[in-house]
Amino acid sequence: MSGVDLSNIVKKYGAFQVVHGIDLTVAEKEFVVLVGPSGCGKSTTLRMIAGLEEITAGELSIDGRRMNRVAPKDRDVAMVFQNYALYPHLNVADNMAFGLRIRKMPKAEIKTTIDDVAGILGLTEYLDRRPADLSGGQRQRVAMGRAIVRHPKVFLFDEPLSNLDAKLRTQMRAEIKRLHKRLGVTSIYVTHDQVEAMTLADRIVVMNDGRIEQIGTPMELFNNPANTFVAGFLGSPPMNQVKGVLTAMGAKIGDTEIKIDGVTAADIGRAVTVGIRPEHVALKAGQGTSPLPIDLDLVEPLGSEALLHARFGDIEMVFKAETHGDIGHLSGVTDIHVDASLVMLFDGETGQALNLGG
Amino acid sequence: MSDQNVPNDGRFVRLYDHFKREWQIYVLLLPMIIWFSVFLYKPMYGLQIAFKDYSIFRGIAASPWIGFEHFQTLLGSDQFMRALRNTFMISMLSLCFGFPMPIILALMFNEVTNQLFKRTAQTIVYLPHFISTVIIAGIVITAFSPTAGVVNTVLEWLGFEPIYFLIKPEWFRPIFIGSGIWQEAGFSSIVFLAAIAGVNPSLYESAVVDGASRWQMIWKITLPSILPTIIIMLIIRIGNLLEVGFELIIVLYQPATYETADVINTYIYRQGVQGAQYDLAAAAGLFNAVIAFVLVMTANTISKRYSRTSLW
Repeated sequence: MSGVDLSNIVKKYGAFQVVHGIDLTVAEKEFVVLVGPSGCGKSTTLRMIAGLEEITAGELSIDGRRMNRVAPKDRDVAMVFQNYALYPHLNVADNMAFGLRIRKMPKAEIKTTIDDVAGILGLTEYLDRRPADLSGGQRQRVAMGRAIVRHPKVFLFDEPLSNLDAKLRTQMRAEIKRLHKRLGVTSIYVTHDQVEAMTLADRIVVMNDGRIEQIGTPMELFNNPANTFVAGFLGSPPMNQVKGVLTAMGAKIGDTEIKIDGVTAADIGRAVTVGIRPEHVALKAGQGTSPLPIDLDLVEPLGSEALLHARFGDIEMVFKAETHGDIGHLSGVTDIHVDASLVMLFDGETGQALNLGG
Repeated sequence: MSDQNVPNDGRFVRLYDHFKREWQIYVLLLPMIIWFSVFLYKPMYGLQIAFKDYSIFRGIAASPWIGFEHFQTLLGSDQFMRALRNTFMISMLSLCFGFPMPIILALMFNEVTNQLFKRTAQTIVYLPHFISTVIIAGIVITAFSPTAGVVNTVLEWLGFEPIYFLIKPEWFRPIFIGSGIWQEAGFSSIVFLAAIAGVNPSLYESAVVDGASRWQMIWKITLPSILPTIIIMLIIRIGNLLEVGFELIIVLYQPATYETADVINTYIYRQGVQGAQYDLAAAAGLFNAVIAFVLVMTANTISKRYSRTSLW
C-alpha cells in the first residue's frame, strides 16, 4: 500500500524547532493538503517526506518502509516545485525525460512515456520548446509531467500554483484534481491558500506554528473547526470571531444576546469566543435568527453577492449578502440577523471548540 | 485644437526630454567617458605614425606619410614573424589550459560543504592575483633555479639531473602558462562562482529527487546553467588573445629563450622603447589590435549564431 506515515516527526535547525512532533497517516490514493500560514512548517514537512531535509526525530514510512535514512531517489516520490524547477537549457521533452534518463530507462520506453504524458497534459505540440518559450500554465504542466512520467508511489506538491494568476490558478486546480482522479496516486499538497485546500483535498491538515491544529475532510473542518485558528483559517472571508459570555439564553456579545440552545447552568458566565461565518446571516429576521446591530462601513459588490464590512461596537466584521442584481438596498442595513443554529462557540481562553450539552 | 497647435514631439524634443529626465545617469557615466577619451581615444591620434616616417623632432603632424611601408617591413621581419607565432602559440596554449581552470576551480569550490575549508582554500587561491608580477617572476625564478630551486631539489631527490629551466626555450611556455594559471585561476573563478550562485537551487533539489548524482548535477545542471557566462568570458578572452602577459614575459625571458618567448608586445617594447623605432612599434601595435578586433567579432558572431549568447 502506497500510503505515507508520519509518526512524531520533529525538525530542528540548531536549537530552533520548526516542526513539533507531527503525526499523520495518508492513505493510498488519498489527496491530502497541508495548509497553514507562512512559516507554519508545512513545506518543511513536505521536504522531509521528499528527503530534501533531514528528519531530526520521529519516523517516516512510505509504503510501509522506514524512509528516514533513505536517499530521495530511492523513496519513489516525485515533487512539483513552486517555481517549477524546469531546466532552462532543456526543451519540454528533455525536461520530462530527465529523471528517466538518470534511471537509465531505454530510449524507446522514454519516448512512449513522454508522448503518453504529454498527451494527457496537452503538451504534445510544445515538446520541442524550451521553458522560456512557455506560459506560466504550460510550465506548470511540464513540471507536473516531469513528476508523472516517473510513475512514483507518491506525488508531493509544494505550492505549485502560487506563481500563477488567479484565473490560471483556478484552471490548473481543476486539472490537478482531474489528474488525481485519473492517476489515483497518493498525493501530498502544500499550500497557504485555503481555497486550494478546500477544493482539492480529500482531507485537509491545518498546521500552525509547527503543529497540526486539525485533520479532516474539507466540510468537517469548515463545519466543525476544532479551534479558533482553524475556524479563522478556512472560509473566505474568514469567520467573524467576537468575545462574549454564556448566559441562560445563549451567548451575550456586547449588549446583544444571541439565542443558543443547550447552555447548561454550569456553563453560565463562561467566557467564550462566538464564531459567526459571514454567510450564516440574513438581512431579514427569520425563524431562529438573532439580530445584531451594526454600523455599515462599506459594501463590496462581487456580482451575485456582496461583502458588507461593518462594525459591531469596536469590532470589525464582514458579512455576505445576496445582491439580487442590485446593491442599493444594502446601503441602509442597520441590523444583521444571525442564524443562531450555525453560530459556533469556542472556549474564551483556550480557543478550543465548545460542544454545549455534548 | 488644430494640428498646428499640437506640441512638436520630434526626435530632438524627445532626446531633450530624455536628457532632462535622466541627466543624473549621464553624470554618473561622465568619469568613464573622460577616462576613455583621455587615455584611449586621444592617444589614437598618435596611431597615424604607423603610416609615417616619424621623427620626434618633426612631430606627428610634420612627419611624412609612407603608407604601409612599416607593415611590409614587419611582415618581412623574421623577428616579428617569430613574435607573432609565439604570441599565437602562447595565447592558444593559455586558452586551452588556462581558461578551463577557473571553471573547474569554481565547480570544485561549489561542491565543498565545509565553509571553513572552502573560505580558506578560496583565500589561498585568490592571493597570488594580488602579488605584483615582478614578485611572481621572482618566485618563479627562485623555484626553478638550478641550484637552490625547489623544483630542481625535488628532481635531484628523484635521481634526475638538475635542469636550468629558464634558459631552455622548450620549458619557457609551460612555465609561463603554469605560473599564469597559478596567479589568476583563483581570482578568475569568482565570476563563475557568482554565476553558479545564481543557479536556481530548486533545479538541484528536483534533480536529487529524480536520482541525479553530484557528478550528473555538475554536468547536467551547473555547467549548462553557467554556459552563457562561460561563453561571454570566452569571447572576452579571445578578444585579449594577443595581449599575453607582457610584464611576466619581459621579466622572465632572456635572449636564450627568445625563440619561444618573444611575443608581439615584447617585440614592440624592444623596437619602440629600446630601439626608438616608434613608428615601427606603432605599426606592430596596430596590427595586433586589428587582429584582436577581428577575433572578438568572429567569436561574438559565432556565439550569437549557435548559443544565443553574445557580448552585443
